[in-house]
Amino acid sequence: MITSAALCPSPPLLYPGMTGRQAVAPELRAACAEATGRLVRGEPEEIVVVGPAGTTGTWAPASRLDPSQFAPAMASTGTPSLPLSLGLGAMLLDEAGYRGRRRLQAIGQDEPASTCIRLGAQLGAAETKPALLVMGDVSARRTLKAPGYLDPRAAALDSAVESAIRTGDLDALQQLDPILARELMVTGRPAWQVLSGAIRSSRPKTEILYCDAPFGVAYLVAQVQPA
Amino acid sequence: MSPEPAGLPRQAPQRVLRLGSRAFEPDRLLVMAIVNRTPDSFYRPGVTWDPAAALERVHQVVAEGADIIDIGGVPARPGDDVDAAEEIRRTMPFITAVRDAYPDVVISVDTWRHEVGRQACAAGADLLNDTWGGWDPRLAEVAAQAGVGVVCSHAGRLPPRTRPFRVAYRDVVDDVLNVTLSLASRALEVGVEPDRILIDPAHDFGKNTGHSLEVTRRLAELAATGWPVLVSVSNKDFVGETLDAPVEDRLAGTLAATTVCAWLGARVFRAHHVRENRHVLTMVSAIRGDIPPARAIRGLA
Repeated sequence: MITSAALCPSPPLLYPGMTGRQAVAPELRAACAEATGRLVRGEPEEIVVVGPAGTTGTWAPASRLDPSQFAPAMASTGTPSLPLSLGLGAMLLDEAGYRGRRRLQAIGQDEPASTCIRLGAQLGAAETKPALLVMGDVSARRTLKAPGYLDPRAAALDSAVESAIRTGDLDALQQLDPILARELMVTGRPAWQVLSGAIRSSRPKTEILYCDAPFGVAYLVAQVQPA
Repeated sequence: MSPEPAGLPRQAPQRVLRLGSRAFEPDRLLVMAIVNRTPDSFYRPGVTWDPAAALERVHQVVAEGADIIDIGGVPARPGDDVDAAEEIRRTMPFITAVRDAYPDVVISVDTWRHEVGRQACAAGADLLNDTWGGWDPRLAEVAAQAGVGVVCSHAGRLPPRTRPFRVAYRDVVDDVLNVTLSLASRALEVGVEPDRILIDPAHDFGKNTGHSLEVTRRLAELAATGWPVLVSVSNKDFVGETLDAPVEDRLAGTLAATTVCAWLGARVFRAHHVRENRHVLTMVSAIRGDIPPARAIRGLA
């Protein structure tokens, strides 16, 4: 059983300095810091960062995001970059001062629900009783100016995700249609399905710290506490 | 190091650029005037939607020193669908009207579609300006068959009218070179004349502000290929995000980017503000020593 989980979004703009001279979306940053801070203050034996990527696999715990792929004027780390979601998760842990054990688990963006749930169950059965930092976003098609433009179906799907998390009904996330999620550019789908597989208690306690789409991409920050 | 596509070198001298019946030497810096036949382009939407207003704009930009008239019927940003038939309806009569008014002006058509390109060539276009990176591979073939030019651009492999979403590059300029050189190589293969091929990094297409600034910073690497380089920086979001300036307040930033691109070797500049761009480019040419000043008397009398 995992001890707790935090859900955070993974836009590149969260990375320090990425947006240039002006800090952007301070409320979002604060919510991510709060959620990660709570995770770290719970003093888990281990934190597993779970995030969507091209393929499923683990990354070396010392790996970091190379910001130069998004911002060429920022120095390259010179080492292979973590996928974005894991890189931002690692950054959030670093910023929260976490120096304990960590694992970095990528889940393929197109993995079927069953695979995600099974992986989640494995994480939940781990000897170390980890806490999870679950990275991923809701739809990127929320407005006319969104990266994915406006898809009228997006608001309803985002609402269903938010509702599932708010009520602690994480099993409902297992029903998310991967094809629709992909069409609506919902990157978090496989990661949340991993989470649902890792939580085996009935109705965890949840708190939503942020839920908004200031740039047309829906970001969700939440804390999940198994009963 | 990435392999070079089709053996095209990355170091070659610039050569004459042929468009229509004109031949432009390497030291000529050319202004390509934007004339959009759309109701909803990002800058001054609808200003040339009325055909009479559009033709009036052509008279104005020719008087201001435009070398090329770039006619487009579909905005780059997402929005209401404009199919090929509608795109043709918006642009063909206008191309004909411009050709009638100006038999020798260079006309380019901003399209990714081969069927639009084919009709545009029949109506008198000299250049197919494809900003979406060869999304329709038949466009180059149409250019070859019609004996016109083609622009080989880098759009980050995005489908037309889509926005970049967390786009990442190990090295954006390397990717720009790989893509544009591949497209140029293919254009040659299908029979486009070598003197009628341009490359364009397509600022902001499949690139964020950081990527567009990097492309500008390293524009000399594109010019070093020997292909004439077209840049389209006018009023773009990378200018706006650098300066925190809205669309209507990006002229100075545009001209700064234009100056840097010109100094680093670009030859064709797609612009909304023709007069100002013409002044900038003439100034750069004079600073280089490629042209004399217009009228120097001070200190010489």
